[in-house]
Amino acid sequence: MLALRRLSPLLWLGPAVALIGVVVLWPVVVMVQSSFQQIGGEGFVVGYNGTDNYRHLFDEPDFVSVLLRTVVWVVVIVSVTMLISLGLAQLFNQKFPGRRVTRWALIIPWAASVMMTALIFKWALDPNVGVINVILHHLGVVKQLGSAQADWLGNPTSALLWMMGVAVFVSLPFTTYAILSGLQGIPQDVYEAASIDGATSWKAYLRVTLPLLRPAIVVATLINVINVFNSFPIIWEMTRGGPGYETATSTIFMIEIKQGDVGEAASMSAINFLLVIVIVLVYLATTGWKEQVDR
Amino acid sequence: MNKKLTSRIAGGIALASAAALALAACSSSSSSGGSSSGGGSTTTLKLVVADYGTGPSNASAKYWDTIVSAFEAAHPDIKVNVTSIPWTNFDQQVQTMIQNKQYPDITEGDYFSNYAQDGLLYPASDVLSDPGNLLPAFKAQGTYNGTQYGMPFTTSSRTLFYNKKLFGAAGIKAAPQTWADVEADAAKIKKLGKVGFGLPLGSEEAQAESLLWMLGDGGGYQTAGKYTIDSPANVEAFTFLKGLVAAGDTEPDPATVDRTTLWEQFAQGTIGMINGSPALIPIIESAGVLKTSDWTSVPIAGKTGPLKVTLGVCDNVAAFRPNGHEAQIKEFLDFAYQDKYQLAFDNEYDLLPATTTAAKALATNPVFSPFLTALPDSVQYPSDTAWANEKTKIQQTIGTAVTGNPATVLSQLEQTATSAS
Repeated sequence: MLALRRLSPLLWLGPAVALIGVVVLWPVVVMVQSSFQQIGGEGFVVGYNGTDNYRHLFDEPDFVSVLLRTVVWVVVIVSVTMLISLGLAQLFNQKFPGRRVTRWALIIPWAASVMMTALIFKWALDPNVGVINVILHHLGVVKQLGSAQADWLGNPTSALLWMMGVAVFVSLPFTTYAILSGLQGIPQDVYEAASIDGATSWKAYLRVTLPLLRPAIVVATLINVINVFNSFPIIWEMTRGGPGYETATSTIFMIEIKQGDVGEAASMSAINFLLVIVIVLVYLATTGWKEQVDR
Repeated sequence: MNKKLTSRIAGGIALASAAALALAACSSSSSSGGSSSGGGSTTTLKLVVADYGTGPSNASAKYWDTIVSAFEAAHPDIKVNVTSIPWTNFDQQVQTMIQNKQYPDITEGDYFSNYAQDGLLYPASDVLSDPGNLLPAFKAQGTYNGTQYGMPFTTSSRTLFYNKKLFGAAGIKAAPQTWADVEADAAKIKKLGKVGFGLPLGSEEAQAESLLWMLGDGGGYQTAGKYTIDSPANVEAFTFLKGLVAAGDTEPDPATVDRTTLWEQFAQGTIGMINGSPALIPIIESAGVLKTSDWTSVPIAGKTGPLKVTLGVCDNVAAFRPNGHEAQIKEFLDFAYQDKYQLAFDNEYDLLPATTTAAKALATNPVFSPFLTALPDSVQYPSDTAWANEKTKIQQTIGTAVTGNPATVLSQLEQTATSAS
């Protein structure tokens, strides 16, 4: 009887563990396995081919630039998102008329399908008739519609900047809410204590608010890093990684090579997976998350 | 007490309706099971087609629905599900179906010999009563190891379309015949504030546009069955294009612009010249901006004179083996390849037929006959198993040759092709 009791937690943990095993761990195993197999464009497994897939991947002339671009993509989007969200959360934490409505409105970019948002931006940036270009044309920023200047998505640099903008736009709601909930968890009396000690509001923000927000910021950053790293719909809909692979991140590059060589694409996925884990571990180590949890 | 009663009644109703739903689910499944046991079992064919339409009014799904409903009326034991996919996604979606082992029964669109190599396809002779009626000019393209698997369904050839109105306004008298003409005319049209030459080197169909320019000075993807993508002739063609782009005579950033977009802009009268197929004609007509007298089409300009041979493209039917529906596929294909459906397709999309009998029926048609006579000598895409992957690479990267270094881009493509084959 007692032994059975001991086992009862398993009953509650079992389903979750099984789910993680089937949905998370098993695909990882298959992915790593596929990366060492020769699998053609039609999905037939020819057999193991050692590290051939990885060698082909490293030989791709665009491989290094794709990886560097991915790092820039993640760092820029996540840091800009965090900065703006810190400001937005502060704003939404104030009492003002219509706060409830504006808080609801903030959900919209999050609730809308990212694919849809990306498509809307793509159309708005059409060099001839896109609404953003038409407005910029009226403002005198774009000299002539249909020109190279108006073709934002045709030039790799401006295309990347616009897509980063869209990525920040869709990442803001979640991040802002995460920080907002952190803000609401800070008790009022610490601010009172700070003001008695003569802290200005800026000092109070730096010395009281930010340190107490740290758990929220750590979690929001981590989730954003993982999301943005694997971000697919924005680039896929807006440029497909083109011209060439000049706006492709490693996820898009993986999809592009999957058409011809599933094995090589799997090795790209495996490297992606490894990179995300490394980034997350480094981040956790530098932010000292253990202290946060222990405290 | 009263409250308890109502909640009980509500609970009873909920239970009853749940039971009814469950029963309905049972009965619907049992009825379909009954029909299969009752002798007349139905087979469902999965037909995946490319969309040639320009909008809902002439979507290809509509064309196929006509065939399918006539076919199903004649063959109550076979159902056909039509899935139509836009050209921009066709290859990738079909490939994903195959990679995931969700095989279609029949595809109509691009065909790749890889599928034949992997034993996924039925030979044409197994699924067509009269494979000899398919146009012989395209037989080689659908053949793998001496057996024909790809069955041409519709064909087309390419010509140079130009806007006569813009030519008149720019003071150009004659049709462009050489690259020098193209360059000079495009520069004049650019002065009108329009796009001189529409150059679609984006991923949709960059492999076609590129080949048309390579042919211009005797180049091409292959020489005697071997890939020669970085041949001097091809490099020269792309160097010429690079100059054209740098001078602003094309739309900006051709590497990112798709054919569909540019054809629509040509139909809107904002592009001077563009290489097109007869499929561009209905787009011009439905836009309603250009009158028939405002545009014309001529042989494609080459380096020193118009091309003698053009690119002949055929879209193929492929019949997939894994679902084992050989007999039903044959019934359907024999039905769909009737002359009347071939002609209906050609009239709808201004494309050319793929069977000898249908071509004969169109031989006297003034619109189609020049294209039809050009077909037998046309140049076609490579048909080896390296092509499927190579084509994807070309679509993605060849456009960068007109902004970067043509020789480097082409030699990288050559390398992928030769390392694969």
